[in-house]
Amino acid sequence: MIFVFLLVLLMLIAAIAASIFKDLISAVIAAALVSLIAAILFYLLQAPDVAMAEAAIGAALVTVVFIIAIRRTKRFEE
Amino acid sequence: MNGTLIIFLAIIGAGLILCFLRMLKGPTASDRAVAVDTVTTTIVALLVLLGFIFERYVYLDVSLVYSMISFVGLVALARFLERGI
Repeated sequence: MIFVFLLVLLMLIAAIAASIFKDLISAVIAAALVSLIAAILFYLLQAPDVAMAEAAIGAALVTVVFIIAIRRTKRFEE
Repeated sequence: MNGTLIIFLAIIGAGLILCFLRMLKGPTASDRAVAVDTVTTTIVALLVLLGFIFERYVYLDVSLVYSMISFVGLVALARFLERGI
């Protein structure tokens, strides 16, 4: 139970960090970390198929799409 | 759950917190990328341990997909940081 609290706390801090980073690549990395911990929480709630889909879409696909989008625009927020 | 498994969970939690501090602090984006990759490796170990605790060995497939998928994201990130896709 303490472990679930730790994971939720880390997820919250990563989400706040993703919104205040000025370097957009760092923000994308923090968002990928939020998605990874969300997959762990789905796994702890005994839903391994949902965790598999979340890990595939959230961690890899969204990261790659965001990186391609940042490459077409600017990297640093002003 | 006996005492050994609780000690394992505590060690994995300590590793997660330390890598997380590096992700928050790291001066460049490369430091953060390496920290998130280390968190991924630690979480794969956690998934295997939880599959052992719950005694459902179907759950090990999740850790397989997890480690393969995170590799793709890290390769895309490293390629962008080196020369920009």
